[in-house]
Amino acid sequence: MIALMIISIGAIMYSAGTYYRYEQWEEYITLVEHVKLSTIRLVEISLANYTKSENNYILKDNLDQWQNDLRKAYPGYGVILTYDLTNATHQVHGTNINYSQGLAFHWNENASYSAANATFALNITSVGLEGYKFMATAFLNLTILNVDPPNDVITVAVTGEDGMPITNLRKDNFQVDELNVTTVTSHYHEDYILVYKIQCENLQSSSATVTVWDQRGIKVIAKNT
Amino acid sequence: MERIGMRTIRNTKGQMRVIETILSSFILFSALAFVNIFAVLPSSPKYETSDLEKMGHNVLHDLDEQGLLSRFVYNETEWGELALALTIFLPPDVYFDLTIRLIDAQGNPTIINKDFPIRYGSPEVFTASNSTASVSYIIPGQSYIIPEQRAEYDPRILVLQLVRG
Repeated sequence: MIALMIISIGAIMYSAGTYYRYEQWEEYITLVEHVKLSTIRLVEISLANYTKSENNYILKDNLDQWQNDLRKAYPGYGVILTYDLTNATHQVHGTNINYSQGLAFHWNENASYSAANATFALNITSVGLEGYKFMATAFLNLTILNVDPPNDVITVAVTGEDGMPITNLRKDNFQVDELNVTTVTSHYHEDYILVYKIQCENLQSSSATVTVWDQRGIKVIAKNT
Repeated sequence: MERIGMRTIRNTKGQMRVIETILSSFILFSALAFVNIFAVLPSSPKYETSDLEKMGHNVLHDLDEQGLLSRFVYNETEWGELALALTIFLPPDVYFDLTIRLIDAQGNPTIINKDFPIRYGSPEVFTASNSTASVSYIIPGQSYIIPEQRAEYDPRILVLQLVRG
């Protein structure tokens, strides 16, 4: 009986020792996190490109290259990333978005947006990881709340994929028709939490067109009609 | 006769206890010796390499999450800043050597910072060490907020080598 107990304890100690032997699991967690973060970045870059080039296949082309380059960056790991681009209508924060090849934009409205959506599955064959699924969504919404020609001020709200306001925008991130933007200040708002007041020169009409680029380079054009 | 018989039985039981104890001790020491073969202590080079790899991954991941990594990597003028950032993030007894690789037209990674080493510690430290950790990290491209510039897929593979001094 004692001998059996000793062997059992030995087996437990052996498994504990081998579990921490290389600590591979932690290395692969960081690898999975890295692939996920970089893939989301790529979706954002592709959306930023799409909002300037209007090339509907840019996300697909970029992801095809990304699949190959991931294998080159991690030789021997067996990193296989597969993707599925959204080609249907999805609702994001109350807005119905009609995606085509994972991309969509709807501009020149009071509330305009640019969006990207794709689902991924990651395999790392060297460690037996299979079918780790994650979703990459990029979204930028611009809403013109008020145009005040007498004071040369336009009030806008800019929100991201989480529905929360984008807080790090400056004068360089906005363009109003062909007018010169003098200052951009952020203010508290009851509904949107944070709004931007764009001060520009010679705002004569209440039908203004505002363009915004966030720090990721994603563009949206909204028009107050 | 009965007394002698009882003594013999008692003596035999005592002997068995001794044999049992010896056997138990033998099994116990064998089990400990067996486990000790597989145990990796903190001073082991294997543990050190794994530890450094984790550290390297975390540093690059943190810089990337803050949006600093792509800014540093895609602007040659900021490679000095990247070296400084890595020096700050990593412990002072860890030496590093970062190479930035571009995937050329043939699909092969080519080092682009040969003339500008992003390094802390002399090159001999890395060649002399027998436990160098190597971390690969790929970034897909850079974002621009300037209207004239378009974000493009332009990957860079970073290879960070780490050695404890």
